[in-house]
Amino acid sequence: MIEWLLDGTLAALLLILAIAVIRASGLYASVVLFIAFGLLLALTWARLGAPDLALAEAAIGAGLTGVLLLGALAHARPERPSNTLYGYRWPAALVSMALAALLIRAVWPLAETTQPLPAQVMTELEASGVSHPVTAVLLNFRAWDTLLELLVVLFAFLGLRQLRLAPLAHTEPWPLLAAWGRLLAPLALVIGGYLLWRGTSAPGGAFQGGALLAAGLVVLRLNGVLPALSWRQWPVRLGVLLGVTVFLAVAALTHAFGAGWLTYPVAWNTPLIVAIEVAATLSIALTLALLVVGEPEEVHP
Amino acid sequence: MTLALMSLLLPLASALVLLVLRARSPVLMILATLGSLIAAAGALYQVVDGGEQLLALGGWEPPLGIRFRLTPLSGLLLVFTALIHLLVAFYAAASRHSQTRHTDYWPLSGLLHASLVALWLSNDLFNWYVTLELLGLVAVALVTLAGPKAYRAAMRYLILSLVASLFYLLGVALLYGRYGVLDVALLASLTEADATTHTALLLMTLGLMLKAALWPLHLWLPPAHAGAPTAVSALLSALVVKGPLFILWLIWSEIAPPALARDMGFIMALAGVAALLSGGWSAMRTPYIKTLVAYSTVAQLGYALMALGLLLYWELPELHVALWLFVLSHGLAKVSMFLAAGEMQATLGSKRISALTGATQTMPVAMFAFAVAGGSLIGLPPSGGFLAKWLLLQPLFAEPANWFWAFAVLLGTLASAVYVFRVVALAFDRAKPTRPDFDPHVLAQWLALIPALLVWGMALVSQPLILWLTGVTH
Amino acid sequence: MTQSLLFLVVGVCLWVIGLYGLLRVRHVIRRLIAVNIMGGGAFTVMVAIAVRTDPVDPVFQALVVTGLVVAVSATAFALRLASAEAHCTRRRESRP
Repeated sequence: MIEWLLDGTLAALLLILAIAVIRASGLYASVVLFIAFGLLLALTWARLGAPDLALAEAAIGAGLTGVLLLGALAHARPERPSNTLYGYRWPAALVSMALAALLIRAVWPLAETTQPLPAQVMTELEASGVSHPVTAVLLNFRAWDTLLELLVVLFAFLGLRQLRLAPLAHTEPWPLLAAWGRLLAPLALVIGGYLLWRGTSAPGGAFQGGALLAAGLVVLRLNGVLPALSWRQWPVRLGVLLGVTVFLAVAALTHAFGAGWLTYPVAWNTPLIVAIEVAATLSIALTLALLVVGEPEEVHP
Repeated sequence: MTLALMSLLLPLASALVLLVLRARSPVLMILATLGSLIAAAGALYQVVDGGEQLLALGGWEPPLGIRFRLTPLSGLLLVFTALIHLLVAFYAAASRHSQTRHTDYWPLSGLLHASLVALWLSNDLFNWYVTLELLGLVAVALVTLAGPKAYRAAMRYLILSLVASLFYLLGVALLYGRYGVLDVALLASLTEADATTHTALLLMTLGLMLKAALWPLHLWLPPAHAGAPTAVSALLSALVVKGPLFILWLIWSEIAPPALARDMGFIMALAGVAALLSGGWSAMRTPYIKTLVAYSTVAQLGYALMALGLLLYWELPELHVALWLFVLSHGLAKVSMFLAAGEMQATLGSKRISALTGATQTMPVAMFAFAVAGGSLIGLPPSGGFLAKWLLLQPLFAEPANWFWAFAVLLGTLASAVYVFRVVALAFDRAKPTRPDFDPHVLAQWLALIPALLVWGMALVSQPLILWLTGVTH
Repeated sequence: MTQSLLFLVVGVCLWVIGLYGLLRVRHVIRRLIAVNIMGGGAFTVMVAIAVRTDPVDPVFQALVVTGLVVAVSATAFALRLASAEAHCTRRRESRP
């Protein structure tokens, strides 16, 4: 009964918040509501047996995206209040409702369907080199997806580098915030590292660790503790490209000398996965941090 | 398969090297593209010779892992991608107006190349989602190389691309929820005609049509492709929009239940006709050179969509060949047209078509390239465009009931003839030619001409080409 | 009605709410927020699909991790692009 109450409340709150985000009369209100929405989504996913995703969503949805949105607000053109919503209200509503009905009819039978795949993952888990199934899928069974995912992060950063950016509108950090930041940031770094380490056997892993590390770097940067990085410095370039390079090198080497593209030799399973994870975490953290708070002179040539 | 992987790895690794070294030299990327082309040609030879190849990545067979699949068609697309990249790279290295000198053009073009190869080789619905995102991001980054005036178009492109991905992703989620597999070959043997499958395919189709700029979801394309630097416009029009088209073709010809495919085919063919007419109409009326070429892409994609729709509607395997011939010949012709148009626009100092007055005198080679490429788009024999159109028209003429579609193709041809001759006629008006701002650059003009000559050369190898492509459908 | 079904429906509704927002809002930041709500909906559907089996399906959870990275990277790039666009327009308008 309590379970149901909790699930029902979460579901209702999510829907209400989503509508409130869309309808909020001010941009700022919309952004703040969206951050709350992200946190609630993380909570929901934690309830749905996905602690990995809850961790990731909390670090990103509420943390990084929040910082990004607030930063973008500073530059955005002001919004005319009469212009919040436009277009034809009823046609849009009708199309949406029809689509919602269609989609609900489509998902209705899914809750009852069962599949053999999860069981298959469990039987192959022994051979994968890690004991946490999600990490095994990410870094072994579907490692190619993860390699491409690292490329997505890199591409977003390269896109950023081509822009004539506005300098970020920093204000002097509020003293209490600065003090908190100094306390929180190292904590984020430690937790990020811990998540990475734990990822082989329990929820966590390269991406969650990377996102938390990125959040720590962002806080340190906003506090002015961290010096400006620059694309001119080779360690920065190497750091950004490390994850993709290591992953790709493993792929090419296993293809050339081993059993095939991304087929890890059995004895080397765990060390290779850990090496890739460490490299990926560093790259994700650095790249995301630069994407969020990279000043023009830091990211440009 | 090793050769196909080489074709992927070479541009990707070279791009990473260029980034680490902060180098801007075109030499490495041209060499890598050349290597990739040779590897792709080898892969094509192997696959035509020995048949389809499969590679389970990481040694895990689907449904657990991802599988690469090299068919004669994907081999051909590997060669096509590398060839287009090579031709554009020569132009970009030679031209003074290619906006590649002070930007990351070279690494980004290598990454675009690698993303496309990853898409052609993949055979997994979720992996395609990631490659589509890669394509979208790198394409937007390349558009922004043109500077702040292109930002608005880039922003629109990016948002629509993200929305399209989410349509596609929700469709993939529904299919996975229903069948528990993501590999196309496995899925093909499982699908049934139920509400979930229908909705999933509908969502994926909408997303892919938006990404491929197929009518009526094409409105983002002209500003983005016209606003990008010239070399980038060529790559975007020739290659990037073909990626989603490839996935669309695979999911409808392999996964979709036949009854649904027939209905959807009819709608797609109608949308193709609308694309032909509306794209042609806009190209006839726009005052800007590159916008004209971009609208012609919308119209030409209409032929491809029509071929796809009709092949589903009538279940005619010949039309597979027509579809892919359209893609190949349009790609080559469009590269030539964009490079010529961009070179003339930059040299004559105006984006307007009226600036091309007397261009046959001031920039004869570029204008010739534009006209020759235009000839293939219209479908004049013996070009690649003619081959494709001929294959498409054959079943249409066979029965009087199909004459509606034949009439639509003829109308589209008429429209393309009008917009090409509109430019060419102006260029022959030598009474008062526009004075160029710079000395016309001869080498760049010749480099713009090569792809147009290749598309006419396609007619010479038409027989093996049609045979290979026919092999695809079996 | 099971937990999985409840959140399948919620996910679909979130996706549609995001789409509705996208059809009706104009400001670029609002559009990106709407896109992210759509994304949240799609990911919730995936999480709900993963939870219906026992053990919970790790494949689909892993795919959501990948999807989240893709979403945050693209959103970050889009927001910085929006800022750059506003900044450059403002500079162009103030110059002449």
